[in-house]
Amino acid sequence: MTLKNRYLKVVHALFIVLILIQFLPDKLPAYTYASYLIWFAIGTEAVTLIASSLIKKKEGLDLFADIVTFIYGLLIAWTLATAKFNVLKPSLFPPPGRIFWQMIADYDKILINIKSSVGIILQGYILALIIAVPLGLFLGWSARLGSAATYVSKFFGAIPPIVYIPYGIALLPTFRSVSVFVIFLATFWPVFAGTMSGVMNVDKKTIDSAKVLNVNKATMMFSIILPASLQQIFIGCNQGLTVSFVLLTSAEMIGAQSGLGYYIKNYSDFGDYTRTIVGLIVVGIVIIAISFIFNSIQKYLLRWKQ
Amino acid sequence: MSKIQINNLTVNYTEKKKSFTALKDVNFSIEAGEFVSVIGSSGCGKSTLLSILEGINTPTDGEILIDGEPIHGTGTDRGVVFQHYSLFPWMTARKNVAFGIKQVRKDVSRSERYRIADEYLEKVGLEQFGNKYPSQLSGGMQQRVAIARALAIDTDILLMDEPFGAIDAKNRTILQELLLDLWEGDGTTERKTVVFVTHDIDEAILLSDKIVMMTANPGRVYREIKVPFDRPRNRSELVQTKEYTRFRNTLLSMFYSDISTKIGGEEVVL
Repeated sequence: MTLKNRYLKVVHALFIVLILIQFLPDKLPAYTYASYLIWFAIGTEAVTLIASSLIKKKEGLDLFADIVTFIYGLLIAWTLATAKFNVLKPSLFPPPGRIFWQMIADYDKILINIKSSVGIILQGYILALIIAVPLGLFLGWSARLGSAATYVSKFFGAIPPIVYIPYGIALLPTFRSVSVFVIFLATFWPVFAGTMSGVMNVDKKTIDSAKVLNVNKATMMFSIILPASLQQIFIGCNQGLTVSFVLLTSAEMIGAQSGLGYYIKNYSDFGDYTRTIVGLIVVGIVIIAISFIFNSIQKYLLRWKQ
Repeated sequence: MSKIQINNLTVNYTEKKKSFTALKDVNFSIEAGEFVSVIGSSGCGKSTLLSILEGINTPTDGEILIDGEPIHGTGTDRGVVFQHYSLFPWMTARKNVAFGIKQVRKDVSRSERYRIADEYLEKVGLEQFGNKYPSQLSGGMQQRVAIARALAIDTDILLMDEPFGAIDAKNRTILQELLLDLWEGDGTTERKTVVFVTHDIDEAILLSDKIVMMTANPGRVYREIKVPFDRPRNRSELVQTKEYTRFRNTLLSMFYSDISTKIGGEEVVL
C-alpha cells in the first residue's frame, strides 16, 4: 500500500542502504555506537510507515517523504565520511551513532538546560505580552497619545535589545533576571508597536457597526478592537519570539551557568564537539517545537480568517 | 407626534480647507410603523442623513427628534444594517446576532440570547449556518445575518443604508421579498419604523410607504411621494399593473428632471 508512492520507494531504499552500510568495517579507531544509529533509523522508518497510512493528501506525503529522504541521505553521507572511510577529522566530526548515544546519555542534563532556557524565555515573553498588548490597545485607541507613542516605540524598538545587556547587568542581580529583562524588551517593543498599528488600522466601518450597537468602552476594547487588531499583534509576537531565541542563546554563551547556549559553549570550550553538535540539534528541535505551538495558537485564534 | 422628525438639518464638511455642504435645510417626518425610502443620485447626502440618524455623525445645524426627544449619538432605539461590514468577522453568525442582543437588551440571559439568535436566523433561512463565520458566507447570506441581528435586537426603528446595494440582482430580489415579509409580519406585532436608503427606484416602490427623493449640491429634499399600493404587496403581481408602470414613470421623470438640470460633469446613477 505504501509502496505506491514513488517518493516513499526512495525513502525505503535509502533506509536499507543506511542499515547495510553499518555492516561495512569501521575505519575509525574509536567506538562508533552504530547500534544507536540503527535504532534511530528503525524508529524513523516506523514513523514513516505510520505517517504514510495516516497522511491522506499527496502533497503532504510527498513533503514528508522528502524530509525523511534528506535525513537518511545526510546520515548515509555522514556515516561514510566518518565511521567507514574516516575522511573527516574524528574529533570535529563524530560518527552519527555517537551523537545519538550522547543525546541519550546526556538526557537529564539536556532536559535541565531546556527547562532553564525555555523558562527564561517564557517569563520575559509573557510578561511583555501582558503589558504590551493592553498598553498598545489603550494608546492606539487614543488618537493623540497614539501618534506620540508610535514615535517613542520606533525609537526604542530601533535599539537592538542586546545592547541593553551591560546596563541590565549593572541594574539586576542575576544572569537570569538580566535575561528576562532583555527578552522582555526584545518582545515588548514589537508587540507594542504591532498592537498600536493594529488598533489604528481597524476599519472605521467595523467601529461604526459596534457603535450603532451601543457597546460600552470595555466591550469596544476587548470584543471589537482586540480581535480586529489580532493579526497585527501576532506579527509583533512572532518577531519578539524570534529575537528572544537569538538573544538568549547568545547571552547564555557569554555569561550563563545553565541553558542551551551554555551547554554548547561549555562543551566546545572543552573540545567535546559531540556534545556541541548535540546542543545544536536540541536548540533546533526546541525552536521548531515552540514555533509549532505558537503557530497552532495563532491559527486557532485567527480561524475566522479565510 | 411623528416617530422621527427631521428639522432644518444642515451638514457642512471641511476637507483640505475646502468646505462643502452635504445637506442643507432638510426637513421631513416619519410616522411610527412607516417604511420610508430615501432615494437620490450619488452625492445627494442620503447616506450622510442616515449616518446622523444612526448617531455616528453630528449635524452642523438643525436636529433630529425621535418621539419628540432630540438624539445625541447612537441609541438603543435604533437598529442598523450597513451595506458592508455590519458583521464582526471573528464571530460566528449566531454569535453576531447574540452579541447584538446582549448590547441592547441587558436583561436577557445568555441561553435566551442564543435561543433568540437561532429563532431569527431561522426567520432569514440560515438556521443551518449559525456556526459559520462571515468569511464562510456569501454576501447575500451575510446581509441576511445582519438583518436577523437588526430585527433580533428588536428596536422600534430600523435604519438601512443601501443594504442590498452590493448583492447580485437575483439575490437582491429574494432579500427584498424577505425583508418585506419580515417587516409586514403576520399582523400580530407592531411594524417597525424603517428608513431605507437606496438608489434603486423599483426597490423603493416595492418596499416603501413613502419615498423621499433627494437632490445633490447641496443635498436637500426634492420631493416626498406617497406610494399608493396596498399591502401585503406581491412583486410579480404589482409590476404587471398599469398603476405601477404609471407611478414608476412619474418617479423616473422626476428623477431625471432633477438630473437633467445638472448633466454635464455630474455623476448620474440610477
